[in-house]
Amino acid sequence: MSQDTIKRNHVNISGKGKKSIIFAAGFGCDQTVWKDVAPAFADEYQVILFDYVGLGSSNVSAFDPAKYSELSGYVQDVIDVCTALKLEDAIFIGHSVSSMIGLLASIQRPEYFSQLIMIAPSPCYLNDPPEYKGGFEREDLESLLAMMEKNYIGWANAFSINLLNNNRQSDVAKNLEDRFCSTDPLIVNTFARACFFTDSRPHLAKAPVPSLILQCSDDIIAPKEVGEYLKKKMPNSTLTHMNAIGHCPHMSDPDETIQSIKKYLTNQSASLVGEGVGEV
Amino acid sequence: MDELIEEAPCGFLTLSRDGMIQSINRTLLKILQCPSPKQLIGKHINAALANSAQIFMQLYFFPLIKTKHRVEEMYISLHTESGEEIPVLLNASLQKNNEIVCVIVPMHNRNAFEDEILHAKKMAENAYRDKEKTLMELESALKSVEEKQQELLIANNQNAKYKLDTERELELAKKIQETALTKDIINDKIQIVSYYHASKALSGDIYGFYQVTPEKYGIILLDVMGHGISSALITMSLQSLFQKLISQGVRAENVMQELDQYLHELFQNNQDAWHYCTAIYFNIDTTTRTVEYINAGHPPAIIQNIDGEQQELLATSPPLGTFEDITFKSRTINYTQGTRLLLYTDGVSEAFEPNTLNYLLHDSLPSDISETKGIIQGALENTENKFEKYNHDDQCFILIEL
Repeated sequence: MSQDTIKRNHVNISGKGKKSIIFAAGFGCDQTVWKDVAPAFADEYQVILFDYVGLGSSNVSAFDPAKYSELSGYVQDVIDVCTALKLEDAIFIGHSVSSMIGLLASIQRPEYFSQLIMIAPSPCYLNDPPEYKGGFEREDLESLLAMMEKNYIGWANAFSINLLNNNRQSDVAKNLEDRFCSTDPLIVNTFARACFFTDSRPHLAKAPVPSLILQCSDDIIAPKEVGEYLKKKMPNSTLTHMNAIGHCPHMSDPDETIQSIKKYLTNQSASLVGEGVGEV
Repeated sequence: MDELIEEAPCGFLTLSRDGMIQSINRTLLKILQCPSPKQLIGKHINAALANSAQIFMQLYFFPLIKTKHRVEEMYISLHTESGEEIPVLLNASLQKNNEIVCVIVPMHNRNAFEDEILHAKKMAENAYRDKEKTLMELESALKSVEEKQQELLIANNQNAKYKLDTERELELAKKIQETALTKDIINDKIQIVSYYHASKALSGDIYGFYQVTPEKYGIILLDVMGHGISSALITMSLQSLFQKLISQGVRAENVMQELDQYLHELFQNNQDAWHYCTAIYFNIDTTTRTVEYINAGHPPAIIQNIDGEQQELLATSPPLGTFEDITFKSRTINYTQGTRLLLYTDGVSEAFEPNTLNYLLHDSLPSDISETKGIIQGALENTENKFEKYNHDDQCFILIEL
């Protein structure tokens, strides 16, 4: 079973450290998005990379549209990977929607995690006036999905109807190997709906472990107000503003991303030592 | 900017790595309905994009530029000053100086066409799903039909086995019933032969003839109403009773009285099972050459002397088991040698035209008794002569020559 999960989610383990860091890519992307960030942690940590089912080099035939039409499907992938590797007190680093997936996983299995690092997170992309400004109206997100769909025509040579069958051709998957983002309309559309239309705000207060919120500059997907909202709602959370512009600092500004994470982790262990001293 | 580029038949734009607009040509400004480049230069590309396109650029454009250094045929929507959305195709590449160069082509018509294609694709997908669903429903219906068929097959096998068992049982019961019938009597003074045929396996007819003393013979023929198993069961209980009575030489009136009484007692507490029966009884004394008889509702026996003159011995009382307290009275007639007696049940007489038995008996006067029996039997079993509606009753006759 654990071997099945490792294959299914294309789990890759590297690094020399004892403590584990598990990296989870954001919406529609695979583990290659971490190629400029993950190696920086390999000396001190065990680095774990994986793909959600349906993405990257995961086992696409395990994709169940019903299961993965809810965030809980992706949460289960994270828990499955942690269970297969018997992880304890791992650091979870998630980008974008994976921040919320990590939070939900930590609420279900707190023993697996020690800290959550959330890069450009948002608990809800929709505006919910007057209290909450996610940044978008439902029509914006619906036309985003339509835009994604239009782009498959150019990118994926108009996937034919037999994609609906379970036996997806592996050669199609191979052709797309060098794409870090999936262009399979069924998988992307399913993921997008789970990602953009889920409201995870009710779960924020249940966060069982300390968390770092990495807030980018000028990120229209996760605006500054959303980062502040998260800081306010999540217990034991730290908000760090980054100079990196946009939504993908781990790709555009890997160095700043690495430094922000390392600084937070150092502070975390220092405060643990401090507490230890204080108790004596 | 080069004049050629300013007026090129496509939008042209350069961005910083962060997405800040650095230059823009006049064609694109016209598309965006923007009066001056100053409004856009130095601003983020988001300023010219629809909300959905802003997210899309973050999710796809910037990561692709970062990793592949180029973007081809990306479909996005621009946002004009007047709030109009313009579908465009975007090509971009990352230059050595970290500048992103973009070429933008509006695609109103193609967009409408692609919308149609997508719509058709969705319809096809839905139709396919519906088809799959219908197919699955059909398959499950087929499966349940097959299961039902299997159940029917099992039930059918059970029925067939039950039928076979029942037939075996009936065959055995038929043998038992036939064992209860007495054998032909042939001697100098009297010859008695019989014919017995059940419409189903078991018969509602029963008979018996006994030599009571060297000179006296008791002969009885009964027809219990109905036929089949229920009637046959009654014939068997009546048979054990009359055998005992007749063998002991009980008087004719008493034999009938006892049988009548027995039927009344049998059904007195169970009207649903009530059966009656017709019966005809003969005491023949070969010394005095007399025939004493009682006919309880039975078809008339035919008596024929050696000259072929016939007389019918009509009913002397109602059938047995009908009215309470009937007194049975016998009648006695004399006979001469060579006289023949024919006793039969209605299954025999009703298989023919009226009076056929009389003719058959009369015409077979020259034949001996076993030949005569053969003639009547042959007529009964001749399917062409049979009255279709009467060939389902039990048939029995007794032929006596004195």
